[in-house]
Amino acid sequence: MTTQHIPAAPADAAPAARGLSLSQRERIRSAVRSVVVIAIALICAVPLYVVVINTFKNSGDMAADPFGLPTHFTLENYTYALENLPVVQATINTLIVTVVGVFFMVIIGALAAYGMVQKRSKLTAGIGAFLMLSFVIPGQTLLIPQYKMEAQFGLVDSLLGLIVLYLGGATFCYFLIVQYMRGLPGELFEAARLDGAGPFRIFWQIVLPLIRPILITVVVFETMWTWNDFMTPNIYISSTEKQTLVLQVFNAMGQFSTNWPLFMTITTIALIPVFLFFIFCQKWIVAGLVAGSVKG
Amino acid sequence: MSQATAIVTASALPEAGAAPARAIAGSVQDFEASHTRDRKRRNLMENLTSVRFLLPLLAVYIIIVLIPFLQSIVFSLTDYDGYDFANAKFVGIANYQAIFQDQTLLAGLGFTLLYTVATTVLITAIALPLAVTLNRKFFGRNFARSLFFFFSVPSMAVLGLVWQYIFSPLGTGAVNTFLGKFGVSPVPWLSNPALAKFCVIFIAVWAQVGWHATLYLAYLQAIPADLYEQASVDGASRGQQFVHITLPQMVPAMGVSIFMLLTGGLKVYDLPFTLTTGGPGNATYTVTQSIIVTGIGSGRYGVGSALGVMFFLCCVILVALQQIVTSLIEKRLS
Repeated sequence: MTTQHIPAAPADAAPAARGLSLSQRERIRSAVRSVVVIAIALICAVPLYVVVINTFKNSGDMAADPFGLPTHFTLENYTYALENLPVVQATINTLIVTVVGVFFMVIIGALAAYGMVQKRSKLTAGIGAFLMLSFVIPGQTLLIPQYKMEAQFGLVDSLLGLIVLYLGGATFCYFLIVQYMRGLPGELFEAARLDGAGPFRIFWQIVLPLIRPILITVVVFETMWTWNDFMTPNIYISSTEKQTLVLQVFNAMGQFSTNWPLFMTITTIALIPVFLFFIFCQKWIVAGLVAGSVKG
Repeated sequence: MSQATAIVTASALPEAGAAPARAIAGSVQDFEASHTRDRKRRNLMENLTSVRFLLPLLAVYIIIVLIPFLQSIVFSLTDYDGYDFANAKFVGIANYQAIFQDQTLLAGLGFTLLYTVATTVLITAIALPLAVTLNRKFFGRNFARSLFFFFSVPSMAVLGLVWQYIFSPLGTGAVNTFLGKFGVSPVPWLSNPALAKFCVIFIAVWAQVGWHATLYLAYLQAIPADLYEQASVDGASRGQQFVHITLPQMVPAMGVSIFMLLTGGLKVYDLPFTLTTGGPGNATYTVTQSIIVTGIGSGRYGVGSALGVMFFLCCVILVALQQIVTSLIEKRLS
């Protein structure tokens, strides 16, 4: 053993000597990479910086120098926006639509996924294939009949109407959850059945806790999607008191296009929840992105 | 009798004992002759329970997706105006012909295709090297990763509105103010058709590059490190490693990313609409916007639905093509 090491040592020493310069070179490379990548990232972030910094200026100040720090720091834009615009109402609306919509779409998706893995038969296989159709049907193709349907039931310009449409997302939840469940050992579910518990009790008490990781991922992903949706509220919501946050930012643009700082303030207010959500849920957003991509 | 009790009865069989249900299924088969009826019944029960769980999703799917989809096809063949379907006349493919004679609709189709191809190519070309860089070690890596990713998290509609100020064609717009410092006169960013198209695509790339880089990053991290170690022992350069290890390993990720970019690109609506409302003229008009305007806005349900069906067909063709190309590439590489 030792005799083997002795010739190895000088052979290793030579690259090690060069290795020093190699690791130095690597260190320089890494430093250059830091500077270049962070510089590019910061340049990309300039638009967001411009939005936030100008909320603390008045119009004149902003026009004079949109990039600089405020010369006269002011919170007037915020007080004006909060006092005169239904920001709070819009936030509540968005919360209602998102929470209720996501809750039901995830539960419906999880129920179906459990039904699917419970028992494989021609019937469930057929239903699975039937659901696959949803991947090739774009939402755009459904817009007109869906609008007609909502109009028929008096759901246009109502939060309930938005929620009903968002339920369509349950199919996506179903696919992510069923894929996760198939990766779990089947004994987990079967052992539960032997205890003689009813299928719905098993679902609530055993299945849902078992699939918690994918549930969080799906909830985070769908929350982001629902919260950000612009097309549906823009088509369906016309009353000011029913608009969602994104729609409110859009309407504010028409209303205050001459008062940029005020518009930027409304935008910033709308972005704060998204930013917080991102800070706390980044891990799961990425998980959802990857899980969703595996499905294709 | 519920499914659970059926199983309890089965587990009372002598050989089954406390073994898992799969063993029970086996033991039930031993008794096949005498228990066929029982088994069939149990199967039926289990099927019914499964289906019961599937019912809510099926209901949602049929009401929100399937029926509207079929209606869309039917509407597209009539002159339905949204008021009285009973009086709507069957017009065959007239609505489809109308699409190809309407300059606005064609403009929407043209820009949608341009947007789809341009964003797919640009984002893939930028996101892949970006992901490779973000996968290397350097100070501030997590910060850079998060920042690039963050641009894709807010609503595209809000981003479109923000960029409306950045790219404002007036001298007070952010970019023009910046250029003005160097004596450049205001550039008509959003008021010139070609520039407006450029702006929409530019912003879409800006917003989505981080998303796709994150996707690539996840796949990059799954490449076994010893592949690279082996290659560097064999004296392969960084460039060679990228071409011979990274790229082939990234084919599945590229398939996924490109698929998402293509389908997402065809569906684009929020960004061009909030940035330019489809203008100037029809320069940044999209298929989705024309479906909304024609169908819901002006009540031409027939033409709007025909557009929707055409759009569906485009998506099907695209998805099929993409699947074929990806499987061909994967075959050649393996």
